[in-house]
Amino acid sequence: MRYVVLALLPFIAIFLQSTFFAAYTIKGVVPDLVLVFIVFYALLNGAEKGGLYGLLCGLLEDLYAGRFIGMNALSKGAAAYIIGRMQHRVFTENVAVGVVSVVVGSLLNALLLMLLAWLYFAAFEPGPGFIYSVFYQIIYNVLLTTPIYIWYYQSSKRGLLKESGER
Amino acid sequence: MLVLAAVFLFLMYSSTGTRTEITAAEKVLRESFAPLQNGLSGMKRGLAGVSINLQNKKDLARQLAQIEKQNQELRRENQQLQESAAEVIRLRRLLDYKQSQQEQYDLTAARVIARQPNNWFRFITIDRGSSDGIKPGMAVISPDGLVGRVSNCSHNASQVTLITDREMAVGAIVQNSRETQGIIEGMGEANSLRMINIPYYAKVGKYERVVCSGLSQFYPKGILIGYIQSVEKEANGLLLTADIAPAVAFDKLEEVMVITGVYAPVADAPGQEE
Repeated sequence: MRYVVLALLPFIAIFLQSTFFAAYTIKGVVPDLVLVFIVFYALLNGAEKGGLYGLLCGLLEDLYAGRFIGMNALSKGAAAYIIGRMQHRVFTENVAVGVVSVVVGSLLNALLLMLLAWLYFAAFEPGPGFIYSVFYQIIYNVLLTTPIYIWYYQSSKRGLLKESGER
Repeated sequence: MLVLAAVFLFLMYSSTGTRTEITAAEKVLRESFAPLQNGLSGMKRGLAGVSINLQNKKDLARQLAQIEKQNQELRRENQQLQESAAEVIRLRRLLDYKQSQQEQYDLTAARVIARQPNNWFRFITIDRGSSDGIKPGMAVISPDGLVGRVSNCSHNASQVTLITDREMAVGAIVQNSRETQGIIEGMGEANSLRMINIPYYAKVGKYERVVCSGLSQFYPKGILIGYIQSVEKEANGLLLTADIAPAVAFDKLEEVMVITGVYAPVADAPGQEE
C-alpha cells in the first residue's frame, strides 16, 4: 500500500498543479507540490531513497510536459539527495523542519533548473521574472507545507506511508 | 351568637338580587385584589404565551432551516447560471468569430482542460486530439489573438505551447507601418512578450498593434499578437527591442480555436473586430 500511495502522490500533485492550482496562482505562479512530496520523502527516508524518488517523480513531470525530459528528474533528484543528507541531523517530527526543508529544496531545485537551463538555452537570462517566480513559488510551497507535512509525517510513522518492516 | 347570626341573616337578605351599587368596604376589597388578580391573569397569559412561543420557535427554527437550505440551493443555482451565462457569452463570441473567419480558416473549437504544472514552461492542454484532425504545428487562436501552436497530440487531447513560452518565436510586423518586421519571443512569464530584431530606424510607437508577419510556416499572416508597450535600443545601437503586452489573457483562457486549414493568405485576422 505504501508504494501505491508513494506512486500516486506525484500523479495527484501534477493533476492538482495543472488544474486546481493553475486556476489559483500567486502572481501567475503555481506551487510545486511534487517537490514538496519529494522533500518530505527524502527528509524521512534518507539521501539514497530520496534521490531515487526525486528522480522518478521529476521524470514523471518531464514526461507530462513532454519537453527537456530529464531536466526536472535531475534537479529534483539532486535536491532530494541533498535534503536527504539532513535526515539524521534534524528533528523530523518538528513541522518547522519540514517548512525549512521545503524552502531549501525549492531554492536548490530552482538553482539546479537554472544551471540546466543554461545548458539548453544559450542566452538564458534569469531576469526579475524568474527571481519573482522562484520567490512566489517558495511562498506558495510553504503555505501548503504545514498541513501536508503533518499528514505526511504521521502517515510515515503510523499510517499508509509506514514501511512494512517497522510495523 | 344569636345577635351575630341575626346580623348575617340581615346582610344576606339585604344583598339578594341584582345590586347596582356596592359598599365602600367591597370597593376597597376589590381594588386591593384587582392588581393581584391582574398579575395572576397576566402570568397565566404569559405562561400560555411561553408555550405558544416555544411552539412558534420550533416552527420558526424549522422554517429557518428550510429557508437556509433553499437559500443555499438558490445560491448554487445562481452560481451555475452565472457560470453558464458567462460560458454562453464566451461561446457566442467564439462562434461569431468562427463564422466571420470561415472563408479564411477551418477552425476547430476546443476547451482548455489543463495548464502547465510548473513555472518553467507555458503550455495548455486542450480537449481535442488527433481524432479531431489536430496535428502538431497547427496555430491556435482565440477571438482576441494568437495563443500558440500545437506541439503534440494524443488521441483525445493536445498540448499547445503558448507564445509566452521561452522556446517560442513568431515572425511579427507592426500593423500600421507594415515595414517594421521583427521576431516576437516568449519570456517564460505569464503575460509578457518581447519583440526583437527591429531595425533602429523603424518608427515604432506605443500601443501599436503587432500582428503575425506570415513569414513563419506555422502562423497565418495578420493574426493579432499584442500591443507595443515600450521600445529600447539594444546595446549595439543597430536594433530595437520592444516590450509587448499580449492581446490574449493567457491566464483566463477557457476556449480556443485550432486553425486546421487555411484557404488563402489573408490581410489581417483575429482581434480585428475590436
